[in-house]
Amino acid sequence: MNAELDQYRQACRAWLAQNAAACLVQDGMSTDEEIALARQWQALKADAGYAAITLPTEYGGGGQSELHKIVFSEEEMRFRLPRQYFIISLSNALPTFLHYAQSEALKRELGPRAIRGEQLWCQMFSEPGAGSDLAAVRTKAEKDGDDWVLNGQKLWTSWAQIADWGVILTRTDPTVPKHKGLSYFFVNMKTPGIEVRPLKRFTGDQDLNEVFFDDVRIPDSQRLGDVNGGFMVAIHTLMMERYAVSSVNAPLDDIIELAKHATVGGQPAIWDSGIRETITDTFIEQQGLRNIHRRAVQALSEGGSPGPEGAIRKLLMGESLLRAGKLAMDLQGPQGLRADSDSRFARSWLNAPVLRIAGGTDEVLKNTVAERILGLPQEMRPDKGKAFNELL
Amino acid sequence: MQSSAQHADAAVAREIARLIAREVNDQRLKALLESPGSFDQPLWSLAVEQGWPGLALPEAVGGVGLGWRELADVVQVLGHATVSLPLIQATVIGRLLLQANNTGDFSACARRLAAGEAQVCIALMADGDAGLPAQPALVLDGGKLYGTASSAPFANSAQFALVQARHKGGTVLALATLDDSVRRVTDNLIDNARAAAQLQFEASDARLIEGAQALADVLAISAVMTAFEQIGGASACLELAKNYAMEHKAFGQPIGAFQAIKHKMADIYTAIEIAKGCALEALAEIETGTLSIEAAAAARISANRAYDLAAQEAIQVHGGMGIIWEGFLHHHYRRARSLALELGSTAYWRNVLIEKLLAGAAS
Repeated sequence: MNAELDQYRQACRAWLAQNAAACLVQDGMSTDEEIALARQWQALKADAGYAAITLPTEYGGGGQSELHKIVFSEEEMRFRLPRQYFIISLSNALPTFLHYAQSEALKRELGPRAIRGEQLWCQMFSEPGAGSDLAAVRTKAEKDGDDWVLNGQKLWTSWAQIADWGVILTRTDPTVPKHKGLSYFFVNMKTPGIEVRPLKRFTGDQDLNEVFFDDVRIPDSQRLGDVNGGFMVAIHTLMMERYAVSSVNAPLDDIIELAKHATVGGQPAIWDSGIRETITDTFIEQQGLRNIHRRAVQALSEGGSPGPEGAIRKLLMGESLLRAGKLAMDLQGPQGLRADSDSRFARSWLNAPVLRIAGGTDEVLKNTVAERILGLPQEMRPDKGKAFNELL
Repeated sequence: MQSSAQHADAAVAREIARLIAREVNDQRLKALLESPGSFDQPLWSLAVEQGWPGLALPEAVGGVGLGWRELADVVQVLGHATVSLPLIQATVIGRLLLQANNTGDFSACARRLAAGEAQVCIALMADGDAGLPAQPALVLDGGKLYGTASSAPFANSAQFALVQARHKGGTVLALATLDDSVRRVTDNLIDNARAAAQLQFEASDARLIEGAQALADVLAISAVMTAFEQIGGASACLELAKNYAMEHKAFGQPIGAFQAIKHKMADIYTAIEIAKGCALEALAEIETGTLSIEAAAAARISANRAYDLAAQEAIQVHGGMGIIWEGFLHHHYRRARSLALELGSTAYWRNVLIEKLLAGAAS
C-alpha cells in the first residue's frame, strides 16, 4: 500500500519471528498460566513499541497510527499468542482514562504499567437491566462532600477478577432522561466495598464476572468527563477502536479436507449438495470480507473512515462459525461430539453463540446498520424524553 | 494515480447514468416487457452514437480503450436502471476475437462490435440444464452450423452469436453469423426486455474460435461483469425499499422504524456488500490477467443471491404497492431472475467452485 507501512510490516514480521516463540499458548494450559504468559508477552511488546501501538509514547504507547496497529495485528494473528486478555484493557478502558483523566502524573504512572501488562483494566458497563440499552444503568453514584459513593451491580465484566483498575458508568441523576444523568469514573478494583463474583460460561471459560458495589467511596478526582456527561465518555470508549482486526474465521481448508474423506450413505460427503452449499457460502463470505477489509485499510490510509466493515464482519461471524462448526462436527461422525481441548470444531461451535451476543447482539447491530448506514428512523421509544426515575 | 483513474471512470459512468435518466422512463421499460424479444433500439442508437459498445475495446479496433473497471461501473449503472444493452457481450467477445489464434477476419468483426454496427450474443446454455451443458446441442460441420440454441439474451437483436458445438468428436467454441438462414424464435418470458430468442441453425455460417481456455474465460469474465450489473440492480432495490420505508406509515410511525423492516434491510445491505467485495476481488484479478475460477464463481454466486434477495424483499417491504404493474419493483424481480439464469445457475457455479476448492486442497 505504501512503502513506509510495507517496511513496518517487514519489521513486525522479523520481530515476531524472533520473539513470538517465547510466548506461544500450549494445549492444556490453565487460565492462570495463560494470563501469566499474556503479561510476559505484553512486556516484550512494550519494549519494542508494539504493546499499545496507537497510544501516546509519553504513557508508554507506540505513538503510531491505526494502520500500524492493523498491520501488526495481522502479523501477530499468525501465531498462537495470548492476545485476548488485554484487549479491553488497552483498546477501551485505558485510552478513555488517558483521554479524560485529570491528573497528568497519574496518567504517566498508570499508563505504562497497563501497557506493559503489569496491571489490567476492566470495563464496567453492562448490568442486569442494561445491556443493549446501555443508558439504562442503575448503579448509583451519590455525591458526599468531595467523594462519590457507589452502590449497585455490574454484569458481564471481563477479567474483573484479575483487574487492578476499572472504568465504570454510573447514574448520578435519576430525575433527567436516562442518557443525561450518567457519570463515568475510574476505580481501583481493590477499593473496600467492591466484590467480584466470577461467572462460568457454558464453555467453561471463566472470564466473566458480576461486580457488586456496596458503599464504595472514591474521590471526585476519579471522575472522567463531566458530571452527568458520562454517556458521551462511554460512547468514546466504545468508538475508541474504529477498526478491530478479527482473527475469527471458519477454517475452510480443514473443513474441505474433512469433507473429502468423510462419507454419507456410502458416497463421498463432498458430493452432497447441502455440504457443498455450506462450504461455498463460507468461502464467499470470507472472499467478500477480504475485499471489504482491503478497502477499509485503504480508506484509513487515505485519512478516511473505515466504513461498515466492522458491523458486517461481526454480523456474519457468529452465524458463519455456527454453520461451519456444525458441518465439521457432522462430517466427523460420533467423534465430532468430543469436547477435548483439541476438538476445535466442537469448541468453536460451543463458543459461537457468544459471538452473536457479546459486543452488541446481532439484533442491535442490524438496527445500527439500518439506522446509521441506511438512514432509517429509530423505533418509537416509550422512554424517550422521560426522566429515568419515571421509568422504574 | 489510482484516485485520478477512479475519478475518470466514475465520470464516464455518471455521464451514462445522466443520459439513461433523460432517455429512459418507466413507461418505455414497461412497453419492452410486454412483447417477447423486445430490444430498446432507440437507446441502442444513442449508445452507439456515444461510443458505449467500444468503451472497453482497444483503440486499434476503433474502441475507446478503457478497461474492465470502467465497464464494471457502466454496467452497474445499466443494472440500476434495468436497462438491457449487450455491452458485456461486445467487450468480452470482441476481446476474445482479437486474442483467438485464428484472428484473420475476426478483427473485422471486433471492429464492427466496437463501433456498434453489430451486436453479439452469448448462446451457450441449453433447456433442462442448470448450467453450461456438458454436451452442446449444436453441430459444426464444414463451417456450417446445425441445431437449435436455447433462448439467449440479445439473440433477437444480434448479428453474431457465440455458441458451443460438437465438432470432429470434440466440443468447440464458434462464432455464428446470424443471417437470414437463422430462424429466431421469441418466447414469452418473465423478462421480455432482454431481446432473447432461440436460434435455429440450418447450415448457417459459423467460424471456429481456437484456444483451449476460451470458453472458461468467456464465462468467467462475463459472470464477473454481470455481477456488477446485478449489484447495480440490487442497490436500486435497496434504495427503493428504503425510500418507501421512510415515507409509508403504519401504526403511527414510518414502517422503516420497525425492527422487522430494519433487519430485513440490514440483511439485503449485507448481501450486497459481500457481493460487491467478491466482485471487486474478481475485478482486481481480471485487471492483472489472473482471474481465477474461484473468484469468478464467488462473484457470480454472491451477486445472484444479493439481487434475488434484494428484489424479492424490496417487494415485501412495499406490501401491496410492490405487486402492481405500475410499480417498478417487478422490473428488478424479473431482471434478477433473468441474470441469475442466463450465465448458468447458482447450483452450477457452486459445483464449479467446489471442484476448484477440492483441487486446491489436494495440491
